Amino acid sequence: MKKILIIEDDRLISSLVQFRLKKDGYETLLVQDGNEGVKAIDTWSPDLIITDVMMPFKSGIEIIHHAKKKYPDTPIIVLSSLGEEEQVVLEAFNLGVADFIPKPFNPNELAIRVKRVLR
Amino acid sequence: MIKKLLFLCLLFIGLGGFFAKAQDDLIPKDSVDFWKFLIIQKSVPGLGYSLKINKEEDLNKLDSLNGLNYTKTDSGYFSRVFEDFGLVKSQSDQFEKDSIDYAAVFLVFSNPTSLEATQEYVANLIRNGDFQLVFEERDFAEDLVALAQKFPYSPLLKFKLLFISDFKLFIVTLVIVFFFIVSIGMILFMIILKLRKTNRENQLKEFEMLIVDPLTKLLFEKELDEINEMSKTDFYAYFPKEYLSNQMFKEVIIERIISLNKKMKGEFKGKLKLIYQKLDLDKVSLGMLEYAKWHKITEALVQINEMDLMEALPKVEKLVNSDNFHIRSHAVATLLNLSQKVDLMFLKDQTYPLSDWQQMNYLRIIKFVNTIKPIQVEVLFESENPSIRIFGIKLIRILGRVDMIGNLSKMTETATEEELVEILETFDTLGAHMEIHVINNCILSENDQVVFYAAKAGATLGNAHTVDLIANRLVEKSDSFRTRKQLLRTLHVLDALRFDHITLDKVDSTIQDLRAHILDPMLSHV
Repeated sequence: MKKILIIEDDRLISSLVQFRLKKDGYETLLVQDGNEGVKAIDTWSPDLIITDVMMPFKSGIEIIHHAKKKYPDTPIIVLSSLGEEEQVVLEAFNLGVADFIPKPFNPNELAIRVKRVLR
Repeated sequence: MIKKLLFLCLLFIGLGGFFAKAQDDLIPKDSVDFWKFLIIQKSVPGLGYSLKINKEEDLNKLDSLNGLNYTKTDSGYFSRVFEDFGLVKSQSDQFEKDSIDYAAVFLVFSNPTSLEATQEYVANLIRNGDFQLVFEERDFAEDLVALAQKFPYSPLLKFKLLFISDFKLFIVTLVIVFFFIVSIGMILFMIILKLRKTNRENQLKEFEMLIVDPLTKLLFEKELDEINEMSKTDFYAYFPKEYLSNQMFKEVIIERIISLNKKMKGEFKGKLKLIYQKLDLDKVSLGMLEYAKWHKITEALVQINEMDLMEALPKVEKLVNSDNFHIRSHAVATLLNLSQKVDLMFLKDQTYPLSDWQQMNYLRIIKFVNTIKPIQVEVLFESENPSIRIFGIKLIRILGRVDMIGNLSKMTETATEEELVEILETFDTLGAHMEIHVINNCILSENDQVVFYAAKAGATLGNAHTVDLIANRLVEKSDSFRTRKQLLRTLHVLDALRFDHITLDKVDSTIQDLRAHILDPMLSHV
């Protein structure tokens, strides 16, 4: 079973994403801030990371830096309302993220993208 | 030893002499003073006095009561013996008043005694300790210290507390007490507020936890039709009935649904809107429009806008002309978003001027709405509010409504200078060649701004008449530097020969500089 780490400070959004991914048979772990996200990457070794950009303690960009340094092959999907900010998108892609999903988003579409990334 | 005894004897004698002398000094030598002394003493043991009247006729002047007490002797008439010297004053006053010739005779143990012998007798009594002197009461008014000793202290202002009698101290104390009371009150208020806030936050977290799972299940497990067919009782399986009647729970669920609606797309948006209405949360939003607090009304408008609550539109329309900027802005935005046919009538009747922020906000919505709904901009020109009319002109320009150029042309007859500027800019942007007569008329205007924008529009839309008008104006009028530069630039674009003719003939250095500037390809856009 593939392990997906969801780092998102909005409890409702993260819960929806988790629910949807669990439906597809993934094992998920939900954390709500940057620090917990870094800890979870180190201890849980996920197969995929889904992260927000704007979060307490550590930003999504810092998390991507950390994840890419520690597990360069782990794919990352960025889920952010900063989708219209070109700079953030470019920086995320430069760091090697697999996908960028801007909010508002459709959880079903996210599930398809997750499947594609993990294939 | 003998020396010591001798010294003590001498000391005793010396001190005795000193005390004797001191006691003698207490007895006045003068007869008048001695009488005064005796009056103060009132009585002295063994000492008395008798009043002697020399003439019988004087005796007759006395009343019978006093006259009968006098005894006739060879030397005159003698009264009985008085031992109270306090009577002397009244007796002497009476005799002097009646003009009676009298004399007072001292009696020591009833024997007539001379003044000196009497003085010696009194001195002996004092010396032997047989008589205690009484001293005259002093005039205390002349000696404040003595007065202070005589009378006990009593404060001028008789307050119960000493500090109240000091006005300044009292005021300072009052201020300090007031400060302490206010400080304590504020601290208590802050503690209560903090506690309430903490309680509220805890409850909000608790409610949020209760909302997350049921809402997630509803969104993923139920289709839109299924949610639509759900009854109230079915919803109670997800959200307990007791919670749905709780005002704070309703606030939390509204906030979460609105937030989720902003972040989700696709069928989830529809589901969220349906859940919102099925839980009667739309009634809460409608009710909030009646609140007195502006931020609550604004919140309700956002909810109505996000949840597409069409039934709220009549109420929202009433808020378009609210005196509160935020309510007005959100009401217009909501109407623009939700109205089936956007005729902008509600905007036309607005009496408040539109701010730049409002114009930008409305424009953003109108640009989006314009692609799906017909927008009737022309009603804005009928508005009595100049900022609304100007916004209408800007809308035509930004939306590229070439079909409305005719309406603008009609407006020019009555337009203000500010409106004319916007119209000229719109003509320029939309390439309104048929309106060149308006542009040419504006080149003749007395308003510098109007002339500038007319010249600017003339650069793309101008004709031979425009060239003549500009050439004449450059010769006859002295416009601002900015306008002259634009006039020359337009002239250069329309007729380069005429431009040369005008600028080369001029000796004006500014014209020469402007010519050099316009002809320099490096500065053509500066």
